[in-house]
Amino acid sequence: MVSKQVAPAEDETGKWETQLRKGGLGLAVLATLWPGRLYGLEMLRRLDADAGLSVPEGTIYPLLSRLKAEGLVDSEWVESDAGHPRKYYALTELGRRRVRDMAAGWRAFATGLERLLAPLDGDNR
Amino acid sequence: MSREQGQAHLDTYLAQVHRHLHGLSETEARETLAELRSHVLDRTEGQLSPAAVEAAIAALGAPRDVARVNVTERVASAVETNRSPLSVLRATGRLARLSLQGFTVFFVSLSGYLLAAGFLVTAIVKPFAPARAGLWILPADDLSFSLGVMDHSPLAREVLGWWIIPIGLVVGLGLAWLTWRFGVFSVRGMARGVKRPAA
Repeated sequence: MVSKQVAPAEDETGKWETQLRKGGLGLAVLATLWPGRLYGLEMLRRLDADAGLSVPEGTIYPLLSRLKAEGLVDSEWVESDAGHPRKYYALTELGRRRVRDMAAGWRAFATGLERLLAPLDGDNR
Repeated sequence: MSREQGQAHLDTYLAQVHRHLHGLSETEARETLAELRSHVLDRTEGQLSPAAVEAAIAALGAPRDVARVNVTERVASAVETNRSPLSVLRATGRLARLSLQGFTVFFVSLSGYLLAAGFLVTAIVKPFAPARAGLWILPADDLSFSLGVMDHSPLAREVLGWWIIPIGLVVGLGLAWLTWRFGVFSVRGMARGVKRPAA
């Protein structure tokens, strides 16, 4: 008889959470740009402070480069008071439409899931 | 500990990243490095002490990992915006130098397209050069095939005759489509699976 090795529940939950965060990262990055243009480090700090999303710093620029290739964001180098140029990112019109659609999809999904999860509240079985 | 040492440390790190940016054009590489430099300067708030630079670099990740994720994401997004067979083949070529997987994908893609082209060219040329275009079994043994337009040995035996036209067209187009799908799938897979610098 073959016994299947089962991964610890915490590991599996951790993996699921990582995938969940990964899936939502594109929307989160686009959402940070909704109020106005930002440079990379500002985005990372906002993701961390507002959403508790700790994004590996080396991954934000490749992600922004992909969003730019898709026409969702635009970028420009701007001389800063800090003494060095910064690359600022801003949503394009397409990006604004996309983030609105993604937000609507996310909210509909989250609302449905919340209804399903409601019976779990206060039930500690 | 001086600002110059911090600056030198940053320059060395960026040079190491640059060495691994195979597959990016010089403009793309310069843009990537300029953005990383700007990031480190922001994170150190212009202090550039060796300790501050070291911390900022550690947060970015190892040069090889940072370079790989940059190259793979750029190549994958190029494929998403232009999925023509040539663009996909070019993308696999750009990933070929990154890893053994990249090289294998490029090799398989190139071989697939060449074989597809062989079938298509043979099928198209057959009506114009029926004696020279076709699929032949070579006299050496029954397992040696020769496909294309060529002067073959008089002992070679043609196997499909005029059937090479419909079969060549179907097989050639099918093979080209499969190779294209394989390229798109592999580039996406490599982008998803690339080792990302840890937080």
